[in-house]
Amino acid sequence: MNKPAVEQMRTIDRVNATLKQRYNRECRFRRFGLGAVLLGLLFVGLMFLNIIGNGYSAFQQTRILLEIDYRAEVIDPTGARDPATLSSADYAALVKSSLRALFPAVQGRGEKRELYGMLSSGAFLELRRRVMADPGLIGTREQLWLPVDDDIDMLVKGYIDRRLPESERRLDNRVVAWVEQLESTGAIEKQFNLTFLTGGDSREPELAGIGGAVMGSLYTLIVTLLLSFPIGVAAAVYLEEFAPRNRWTDLVEVNINNLAAVPSIVFGLLGLAVFINFFGLPRSAPLVGGMVLTLMTLPTIIIASRAALKSVPPSIREAALGVGASRMQTVFHHVLPLAMPGMLTGTIIGMAQALGETAPLLMIGMVAFIVDIPGGALDPSTVLPVQIFLWADSPERAFMEKTSAAIMVLLGFLILMNVIAVILRKRFERRW
Amino acid sequence: MNEMTDGHIVSSYNKDLNHLHQLVIQIKDLACRQVREAARSLEDEDVELARAVIVSDREIDALDIKADEEIIRLIAKRQPVARDLREIMTVAKIVGDLERIGDQARRLARLTIRFYDGDVIPPNRHLLDDLNKMADFVNRMVEDSVNAFDDLDLNRAMDVIRRDSIVSDDFRSALRRLSTFIMEDSRSVGHMVDVVLGLRALERIGGHAKNISRYVVFLVKGKDVRHKDLDAVEAEIISTLK
Amino acid sequence: MLSVTPDSMGTVTAPAGVIAAGFSPVADDSRAINGTVGDITAIDPRMTARHVNVYYGDKLAINNVSLDIGKNEVIAMIGPSGCGKSTFLRCLNRMNDTIDICRVEGEIRLDDQDIYDSGLDVVPLRAQVGMVFQKPNPFPKSIYDNVAYGPRIHGLTGSKSELDEIVEQSLLKAGLWDEVKDRLDEVGTGLSGGQQQRLCIARTIAVAPEVILMDEPCSALDPIATARVEELIDELREQYTIAIVTHSMQQAARVSQRTAYFHLGELVEVGKTDDIFTNPRHRLTEDYITGRFG
Repeated sequence: MNKPAVEQMRTIDRVNATLKQRYNRECRFRRFGLGAVLLGLLFVGLMFLNIIGNGYSAFQQTRILLEIDYRAEVIDPTGARDPATLSSADYAALVKSSLRALFPAVQGRGEKRELYGMLSSGAFLELRRRVMADPGLIGTREQLWLPVDDDIDMLVKGYIDRRLPESERRLDNRVVAWVEQLESTGAIEKQFNLTFLTGGDSREPELAGIGGAVMGSLYTLIVTLLLSFPIGVAAAVYLEEFAPRNRWTDLVEVNINNLAAVPSIVFGLLGLAVFINFFGLPRSAPLVGGMVLTLMTLPTIIIASRAALKSVPPSIREAALGVGASRMQTVFHHVLPLAMPGMLTGTIIGMAQALGETAPLLMIGMVAFIVDIPGGALDPSTVLPVQIFLWADSPERAFMEKTSAAIMVLLGFLILMNVIAVILRKRFERRW
Repeated sequence: MNEMTDGHIVSSYNKDLNHLHQLVIQIKDLACRQVREAARSLEDEDVELARAVIVSDREIDALDIKADEEIIRLIAKRQPVARDLREIMTVAKIVGDLERIGDQARRLARLTIRFYDGDVIPPNRHLLDDLNKMADFVNRMVEDSVNAFDDLDLNRAMDVIRRDSIVSDDFRSALRRLSTFIMEDSRSVGHMVDVVLGLRALERIGGHAKNISRYVVFLVKGKDVRHKDLDAVEAEIISTLK
Repeated sequence: MLSVTPDSMGTVTAPAGVIAAGFSPVADDSRAINGTVGDITAIDPRMTARHVNVYYGDKLAINNVSLDIGKNEVIAMIGPSGCGKSTFLRCLNRMNDTIDICRVEGEIRLDDQDIYDSGLDVVPLRAQVGMVFQKPNPFPKSIYDNVAYGPRIHGLTGSKSELDEIVEQSLLKAGLWDEVKDRLDEVGTGLSGGQQQRLCIARTIAVAPEVILMDEPCSALDPIATARVEELIDELREQYTIAIVTHSMQQAARVSQRTAYFHLGELVEVGKTDDIFTNPRHRLTEDYITGRFG
C-alpha cells in the first residue's frame, strides 16, 4: 500500500530514462573496438609499406652492356674443348678487356682497378657458364649484359646521393662520371634480377640470392609435414577417441598444452643434443631442421586436431556405433573425415609457424653460410628466416634491400599457405 | 475437492476437474430436492409444488448437458489418463444417472397432479404410506452415494449397494400390501396402478443410487463392479480396506 | 512387497520411502520382484534383464531393475528426466560402454547370450540390437550410403545388386522409399527432420537386427512426422522387438503393448499399456501419468 514513489513509475518510463545513457555506452564501446582494429591495420600497413618500399628494388639489378670477344687463345689455347680447360680459363681477362674497350681513356693501375671494380667480381662466371653450355661461342663476339658491383647498383638505384661531396661518398667522382657516361649511351640499365630468386647466398650482394634458402625451407617443411601431420593426427585421434580418461592421459594432455608454450630455442637445444650429438645426424641439414620443427609444431597440430575431433557431434559417433561399427571404423569412416578440415587448418597454421621459425634452427647449425643450393634433405642448407637474419646482419647497404625483399618472399609464401588452407578446407567441406 | 481432482502440476486442470466435480454435487442436490419435493407435494396434496418440480426438471437437464460439454472439452484438451480418466468417466455416468433420477422425480410429481388436480376422487391416504416412506429412503441413498463419490468413501458406497436390496424388498412388500387393498376395494384399482408406477419410479431411483455407488468403486479401485454380485463387490472393497 | 532391499537404501534413499507408500498396492502379485509392481516377464522374452545396477562413478543410476522384453512387442519406458530409462535402454546394446565411468552389474541376456559376458564382442551385439536416437543423426553422406553403411561394414552382401536390394527394402520398410527413390545420392542431412529419423530407422533395419532400441525417437519431430514414425513402429513390430523410451505418455499409450515406469533409477511398475493408462497400481505411476508431479 505504501510503496515508494519510484515503484509507481511505469516500467517503460524507467527504461526510457536510462536508455540514452545505455546507447551512448554502447556507441563508445563500439568506437573503441573500431579504433583498436584501425590501429592494428595501420601498423600492419606501415610494416608492409616499409618492407615493400625497402625491398622492391632488390628485384631489379643494374647491368652494363659489354661487347665480349670470346678469344680462343684465352679460353682454349689448345682447341681441344676440354671441359677442365674451359672451366679454368681466365674469363675475367675477357671482361676486363671489354671494359677497357668501353673506356679507352682509362690509364694507370689504380684507375684501371677502379674501372674493373665497377663490374661484379662474379661477372665473369656468367661468361664461363655460357661457354661451358655452348663451346661454339669461342671465337665469336657477343653483346652481353653483366651485373655491376653493389656500390654502382646502389648509385644507379639512387641510394647513393651523387650531390654529396666526394669524401662522404663511397664512390669517387671518376666512377660517378663513368656511370653517367654509360647512362647517357644507354649501356647501363636496371633489369629483372633473376639471380635473387634462383641464386645461392654470396658475400657479394649483387650475386646473393634466396634460391638456396627457399629450397632449404622447402626441404625442411616437407620433412616437418611428413613427420608432424601423421604423428599429430594419430596422437590426437588416440587421445580423443581411444585413450581411457585417467590420471596418466591427463598428464599427457597437460604436457602437450605446456609444450605449445615452450620457447622454440629449447627445441633447438634438444635437436642438437639428441639428433646431432646422440644420433649423429648431419649438422645444418633440413632433415634435422624438419625434425626439430616437428617437435615444435606437434603440440599445435595435436591441440587443433583434438579441437576438430571434439567439434564432431557425438551423435555421429553414436549413429555409427549403433549400427555396429567398431570404434576404429567409427573414427575412420565418420569422425576423421568430419574433423579433417579443422585438422588441415591446424596443420597449415603449424607449418606456417615452422616456416617462420629461426631460433631452434640456429642451434642445429642451419645458420651457416652456404653458397650451394641444397639438392636434398641431407645437404647443408639454410632457411628463409635464417637467411633474412644473416643478411640483416651484413654491413653492405645492398643487403638491406635484399633483407626486405626476402621478407616479402617469406610473407608471400605464408599468404600462399593460408590460401591453400582455405581452399583445401572449402573443398573438403563441400564433399560431405 | 478431493485427491481425485487435486494435485496436478497444471492448476487449471485441477480447477476444471473441481468444477466438474462440483457440478455433480450441484446436480445431486437438485435431484434430491426434486425427489423430496415431489414426495412432499404428494403428502401435502400440493399441486403447485408438483408443477414446480416438473418445471425444475429442465434445470437438471440443462446441467446434464453442461456437464457433458465440460467432459468433452476436458477429454479433448487434457487427454486424461488413469485416475483423471476414471474421474471423468465416472462423472459422466453419475450425471446420467442423476438426470434419470430427476426424470423419476418428475413422474412422482405427475402423480400428485393426477391425484389432486381436477375432479378425480383423491386416493386413500394409506395407499400412499409406502410411497412416502420409500421416497425418504431412496433419497438418502442418492445423497449417500454421491457423498461417497465426493469423499471416495468405499464403505458408504458399499452401504448404499446393500441398501438397494432393502429397496427391492420394500418394493415387493408394498406390492403385496397393495394387492390386499385391491382385494378389499376394487374401486381403487385406477389409483393403485398409479401408486405402483410411483413405487416403481422410487425403486428405480434406488437402482440409480446403487449404480452411482458402483461407479465410485470403479473410480477408486479401477475395477468395474457393475453386473457383479454383492459378495464379489464386497471382496473387492475389503481387499483395499484391509 | 514394495520394500527396497536394504543395501540400496543407502544409495537411493528418496524412492525407497516414496515407493513404499504406494497408492493401491496389490497383494496377489506373485511375479513381481524387487519392489517393482506388476509382471516383469514377457510371454516370449527376447531380452531379459535381471537385477541390473548401473553406476556412474559412485552414483547409482539404476537400482536393481529386472525386465523382460518380449518378441514382437513394443515396450515403452516412461518416467521423469533422470529416472534411468535411457540408461537402461543403452545397457541393452552396451552403448554405455562408450562412457568410461559407467559400470553395469547384473545380468542382461539376448536370447540365451549374456551380453555383458567378458568374451562377448559388442560389434555383433549391436548388429543384433540396433538403436535409433533422439536427434535424427544421419551420416553426412548420401541417402544410399547411409542405409548401405551397416550392411557394408558387416559384409552382409556379396554384390552391388544385393546391396541395392537391401537399401530399397529397408527404405520401403521405413516408409521412405517413395519420397527418396529418385534422389538416393543426395545427402541424408538434407532431408526434413521426420524423413531423417525414418532414414535412421531404415539404416538400423538394414542390418536386420532382432531388437530395435529407440531413445525418444520423436522428441525432435512435429506431430505429423511423429505420427508417421509411430505408424512405422507399429508396422515394424511384426518383425522386430522394439523398446522405446519416450517422454510423451500419449506416445507410449499409442505405440506400446507394455509400459514400464521408471522413477529415480528404480523400475516402479510394469504392465500392459492398457492397464497402466487406465488403472496404474502404483501411486508414483499414477501421479506421473496424470501429471501430478515433475
